[in-house]
Amino acid sequence: MVNGTTMTISTTVGEVNLEKTTVRRRAGWLAAAVVVMAGGVVAPGHLTAQDELPGVELGLVYANSYRPALALQPFSGSFGGEAVASQVEAIVGRDLRYSDRFEVLDSLPAGLVGSEVDYSLWDRLGAVWLVTGEVEGTGDGYVLVLELHDVVYGEVRERGRFRLPNSLDSDFRMSVHRTSDEVVTWATGDPGMAASRIVFTMGNSQGGKEVYAIDSDGENLRQVTDYGDLVESPTWSPDARRVAFTSWKSGVPRIYETDLYGGNERMLPAARGDGDYISPTYHPDGNVLAFSVLGSNAQSGIFTYDLERDCCLSYLSGGPWYDLSPTYSPDGRWLAFNTLRFGTAVPQVMMMPAEGGSAETLSPYEYGSGGFYAAPDWSPTGDLVAFHGRIDRRGRYHILVANLEDGGRVLRQLTSEGNNEAPSWAPDGRHLVFVGERRWGHGLMVVDIATGNVRSLLSGQRVGLPDWSPALPPT
Amino acid sequence: MILRRFFVTVFAATLLVGACGGDPPPPPPPPPGPDMDSLQRYNDSVAAAAEEARRRAEEEAAARRAEEARQRAIREARETLMEMVNFAYDESEIEAEAAGILRAKVAILRASPQVQLRIEGHADERGSTEYNLALGNRRAESVRQFLTGFGLAENRFAIVSFGESRPMVQASNEQAWAQNRRAEFVITAGMNAINPPSN
Repeated sequence: MVNGTTMTISTTVGEVNLEKTTVRRRAGWLAAAVVVMAGGVVAPGHLTAQDELPGVELGLVYANSYRPALALQPFSGSFGGEAVASQVEAIVGRDLRYSDRFEVLDSLPAGLVGSEVDYSLWDRLGAVWLVTGEVEGTGDGYVLVLELHDVVYGEVRERGRFRLPNSLDSDFRMSVHRTSDEVVTWATGDPGMAASRIVFTMGNSQGGKEVYAIDSDGENLRQVTDYGDLVESPTWSPDARRVAFTSWKSGVPRIYETDLYGGNERMLPAARGDGDYISPTYHPDGNVLAFSVLGSNAQSGIFTYDLERDCCLSYLSGGPWYDLSPTYSPDGRWLAFNTLRFGTAVPQVMMMPAEGGSAETLSPYEYGSGGFYAAPDWSPTGDLVAFHGRIDRRGRYHILVANLEDGGRVLRQLTSEGNNEAPSWAPDGRHLVFVGERRWGHGLMVVDIATGNVRSLLSGQRVGLPDWSPALPPT
Repeated sequence: MILRRFFVTVFAATLLVGACGGDPPPPPPPPPGPDMDSLQRYNDSVAAAAEEARRRAEEEAAARRAEEARQRAIREARETLMEMVNFAYDESEIEAEAAGILRAKVAILRASPQVQLRIEGHADERGSTEYNLALGNRRAESVRQFLTGFGLAENRFAIVSFGESRPMVQASNEQAWAQNRRAEFVITAGMNAINPPSN
């Protein structure tokens, strides 16, 4: 009987997706369990670290956040919308799971299809929220009518009509993701992150690396650059239309910016002369790029360049040591960055005013401790800076978050196994993507900082330096 | 018996008279006899030619050997120039073994003023990708400073970092990491003007 309903291709896709999400969800639970267990095991070590570094707390501490149960009633379709209704439902359902804000109920009883909502049934099933959807064909696309029901009060809390393009359109899935983010905002008041992409580097068999992009739900992997060479540090512009990165295609590392829609590309002039130009990041206004120049020159360090006027290099910080990996605060007034000024082997994370000036340390630097901290990324909420590090010379690398409201000295550790590098914030300010190295290989992983849930985004590849986009506007 | 000899003689004389038509016969050419002088000269010239050829062959062989030795010395010099040096974990200091390799390069670079090098700094995969770019740059830089410390012109050396992106060995263990922490050398000018070190 179930087979009878999986005859159309789109439904089959929906089924496959649902199966995948079930598996991933279990993996997520497993990971969460491991995190909790490892937290207990790690505790003595972290107490030692605490003794060594007064004022610094490292540990897997997750607030017991309440996650209300949410159910999706199977979406219905009309005027041709039947063909994609279950596909849309599968995308929305998985997005809501990946938001980590709800306990999404699955294995629902059969026979729930229909436009009537039986609140008492959903209440008995334990749902607090219910999402219903109807997909209407419009000829050139669809209209998705979504409703968020408050099961406890037995009423519709929010209702929205969203245009979706044809299901073959390249923006189809992203359009559905945008509706998922609406549901998140309806229920929580906070932004979602489903309508976003992650750029990252991936090695190929020729020993090169290219920039790739993948949707937040792990679908739609695609290649962005094709230079047959080396690239590093891809980073999104604030309008999500451009990506800047470092490429070696001229023989030495230089910074390039490519327009994802127009295809135009330009190289930043090597205005400082010789040196390695690396680790670009956009100012939130999108017109200025901050980056670092590596070299023996006394003025190597962090610079900014005015993209709009195509001029005006300015020097912010650096010296005979190296400052690198800058990241702007969302208001554009501050920069966090990585520095080797305390020693080559003990990089630290610092922050300074965006125009340069005196810097303060965010990472728990302690002379002689061998602590290693790198790859900072400032959260879109402004109060957190994520980076990775190890507290002594022999330890493993974990994802850490410094809370600036606590003076940055209280660190939370978000991972507990393998090595973990290069965190980047999702537009919801709650998830981080990072490179995880496990016994089985490398992969992109996503952690929810509120629950500690970890999910795998892309596995078994030589991936590096992910950068999570802002919320993607309609194209 | 006598009579028979007579007949034979007459017959032979009759034949001779018939053949010459009556004119007196010209004096016969001198029979080829052994001329010891010319033979000596001939033999001497052959021997001289052989000696010359042998000498030439020897000279050529010697020249070839010398050229081969020179080419080998140049090849060894090129290999010495390109020999990579390794570093300790998270460090960019030149250690004793690396210093020996670099000193050998210095001797060749002094004898080969047209040669220019690009020093490529590499790191193992641990740490951070961008940090490792800085570390690779710093390693290449410390190699350049070691070489210019011997009086070689700074503009003969360009440096570039590849960080952890171009590993020698694609593996995640101590041995692979040790090999991947290195500086490599690329000859960017004067490839045909490499001279072995002058002793």
